[in-house]
Amino acid sequence: MLEQKLRQTCRELLANGTVKVIIGYGAAPAGQATRAVFITTPEGVEQLVWNDRCEANLVAYLKRPEVRALGKPAIVVKACDERALVVLQQEAQLERANVFVIGMACDGIGAPREAKCRSCEDQVPRFCDVVLGEVTKPADAASARWDELAEFMKKSPEERMAYWQQELARCVKCYACRQVCPLCYCQRCIVDKNRPTVISTSPSLKGNFAWHVTRAFHLAARCAGCDACTRACPVGINLRLLNQSMAKATEENFQCRPGTDPQAQPLIGNYATGDKEEFIR
Amino acid sequence: MSRIGVFVCWCGENIARTVDVVQVAEASLQFPGVKHAAHYKYMCSEPGQSLIRDKILADRLDGIVVASCSPHMHLKTFRGAAQAAGLNPYLVEIANIREHCSWVHQDKAKATAKAIDLVRMAVAKVRRNNALQAIKVPVTKRALIIGAGVAGIQAALDIADAGYEVVLVEREPSVGGKMAGLSETFPTMDCSQCILTPRMVDVGQHPRIKLYTCAEVESVDGYVGNFKATIRQKARFVDIKKCTGCGECWNACPQKKIASEFDYGMGNRRAIYIPFPQAVPARPAIDKQACLKLKKGVCGICAKKCAAGAINYADQDQLLEEPIGAIIVATGYQLYQISAQQPTAELSGYGEYGYGQYKDVIDALQFERLVSASGPTGGVIQRPSDGKEPKHVVFISCVGSRDNAKGISYCSKICCMYTAKHTMLYKHKVHDGQAHVFYMDIRSGGKNYDEFVRRAIEQDHARYYRGRVSKITEENGKLIVRGADTLAGTPVTIEADLVVLASAMRPATGSDDLARKLRIGYDQNGFLSESHPKLRPVETNSAGILICGACHAPKDIPESVAQASAAAGKVLVMFSHKEMQRDPEIAKINESTCSACFACVRTCPYQAAEKADVRDRAGNLVKRTARINQGLCMGCGTCVAVCPSKSADLEGFSDQQIYAMVESLL
Repeated sequence: MLEQKLRQTCRELLANGTVKVIIGYGAAPAGQATRAVFITTPEGVEQLVWNDRCEANLVAYLKRPEVRALGKPAIVVKACDERALVVLQQEAQLERANVFVIGMACDGIGAPREAKCRSCEDQVPRFCDVVLGEVTKPADAASARWDELAEFMKKSPEERMAYWQQELARCVKCYACRQVCPLCYCQRCIVDKNRPTVISTSPSLKGNFAWHVTRAFHLAARCAGCDACTRACPVGINLRLLNQSMAKATEENFQCRPGTDPQAQPLIGNYATGDKEEFIR
Repeated sequence: MSRIGVFVCWCGENIARTVDVVQVAEASLQFPGVKHAAHYKYMCSEPGQSLIRDKILADRLDGIVVASCSPHMHLKTFRGAAQAAGLNPYLVEIANIREHCSWVHQDKAKATAKAIDLVRMAVAKVRRNNALQAIKVPVTKRALIIGAGVAGIQAALDIADAGYEVVLVEREPSVGGKMAGLSETFPTMDCSQCILTPRMVDVGQHPRIKLYTCAEVESVDGYVGNFKATIRQKARFVDIKKCTGCGECWNACPQKKIASEFDYGMGNRRAIYIPFPQAVPARPAIDKQACLKLKKGVCGICAKKCAAGAINYADQDQLLEEPIGAIIVATGYQLYQISAQQPTAELSGYGEYGYGQYKDVIDALQFERLVSASGPTGGVIQRPSDGKEPKHVVFISCVGSRDNAKGISYCSKICCMYTAKHTMLYKHKVHDGQAHVFYMDIRSGGKNYDEFVRRAIEQDHARYYRGRVSKITEENGKLIVRGADTLAGTPVTIEADLVVLASAMRPATGSDDLARKLRIGYDQNGFLSESHPKLRPVETNSAGILICGACHAPKDIPESVAQASAAAGKVLVMFSHKEMQRDPEIAKINESTCSACFACVRTCPYQAAEKADVRDRAGNLVKRTARINQGLCMGCGTCVAVCPSKSADLEGFSDQQIYAMVESLL
């Protein structure tokens, strides 16, 4: 049983002192998503679970000072979570040798199964220290990855604007999207900057637009597509669409799929002579 | 509370004609923080500057705005005036109401309103200016000169004669560049080698010039005053310290039919060779593509002949580091390839001229070798196909140049002059011969230049046809040149024995790669960019890197030499100071908010953003951060744009200042 295998692996890691803490998924009341648990003793591993409600991207916890204070971590990741880990590595935010990564082969998560999982390309993590389990339910065609976005882009610009106005007007600026994002690691977020204020902090339509558009741009060529922001949003804004439109643009123009190559340089701030530059002319 | 002074300049009529300067001064008094406003006919003149100085002292101004011309023109002037009155020079702002306003508008009321807005923004900005101190960096007083043609040689000698060390790097086995291969030079007809070779010898023997031949610049790190150049000394297979240049080796080499680069394929050399007898250093190199020993492991005759034991077949490229304070780029030019094959898709060739197809169609540099006393024919004009003396020679100018269809829109500048020279040299050697020239325009500006062209036409009877040549064909050993004489309105057909094409000048191969290594700009044609076409003609936008000669644009020998001395002069100005002062309007990183993503490090075009550690007093690592190297930063602001948390900011152009300027308009 995979869950037992996971617990056994973690027990050994803690017992032989390889790591000080396991960041994994813990049980939740029926019908709810699992929660993050931080396990520091070999006995504690019985709390660990693995099921289709292991939705959160635990990589976000790696940036937290209180988690860092616990010592070298082992972290349980799915393939999509792992992409975020790789981006952090590329951006000098973590030393890969200082993290033990436990990859879980994933049949998809969520009830119902999430959109990202239906067109998942990876399912099995690639750069982990250990990979547990096997894929039993392959995803539907990966080519369906952009279907939702393509459907949305069929609308006229006016219709799309109206959609975002309606959706973003509901944003309460709780910044949950930022807090759960493993790649929002800035010590001071641009929205918290004043003198001068770059983004209006009030939950007005203008300020909301500025926030979400800036966040999408800051995630361009970085977003791992884990959809943590979309799950976290208390008012249910489909932030996935914004992130996907940037992802599609960077993939089509620069062949960039974030987090799929630990050796690759981050796209932003890199220059290649073959880059498209028709927009500069 | 600020005490800002606003000084509105009339610029004679330049501003006052279109902008009501009195109204601008009066309106400025209403802006928050403005203590004093005045206007004057020439603010940059001594009375104008003294007006500023007096007011700074009298009203204890803590910032000033001069509404005048472009800051490129007079920012330094007014900063100097402020400093003289005890005000920090970086508390001076310019509102450009000339180039940005009076020169580009006609409606006086609207232009005045715009000028008031420009001043309003400048006042909003200057209120948030910080008093800055110039940055001081030490200077390594050694110059690197890349390219040892006539420009590089001149610059090297100037700097070395002034008492500083020079590292001179040349790609070819000898210094001398293109000029060493020329015959005689316009407009005085002095022999090119006679005037150049003494300079080449000086370079080779100068105690303060370290000469690298067969070498290229591999990389350059560091910043103005403190560069570190890595030089690739390519394998020469001859130890030039042991070699005496006796010539036993190249006289014995069995590979005799290698096309000589120095003769542009008009003559042959051996596999071990010196490019020409006057080469400096007068030491051979082995062409590893041609040498039988290096290619197949047979032969080895040169090593047997060499009494000094200087031949080393196992020679390898070496990388050598040199500390450098300033760099002069003098990489020169090459000729545009005339034939159909071209190095880039932007260029196209002239299939219709038969270059490369007919042996007797040659380019101008090949003709130089043909008439040169040191050339393959000893200066006797013989056409390449059968060695006969040509009786009719057609010269075609603007081959490639000024031809948008071929991808080169610029004028190569020197071709009109050397074509006239060629007709004269030809006539002096073949008295019964006739030179024909097809031209678009004759461009002969310069001291004694037009007189020179007139001499070619009037005394040496060159026939000039204003028109283009449409086709060249070969029939019975003659080249049939079909063209037009647009002044006579008739087609012209000439049965020529030799055709010389004045092909366009292009930057030397690899100069774009070098520009990228040095982080200096180049234009769409690949020529290196100067910082300002009039006021900073030999500087680049990277501090401490200068350009001279034909790598910058097509130019002739006098201009190249003048520019080389100018670049050397700029280097000597730098070297005359113990420390260098740099403009402090550069980036800074807020290290407490920096998340060390290093986007700025990857993006900085000057490699000024560096990774750094923040440590406590005990030396423990607190955090990592990006940090700006003050010697390198040019203040371009790329890091400010790319920083996701806005932890990078630009002194003198801070986000707060820019936002304040925008907000003052709303």
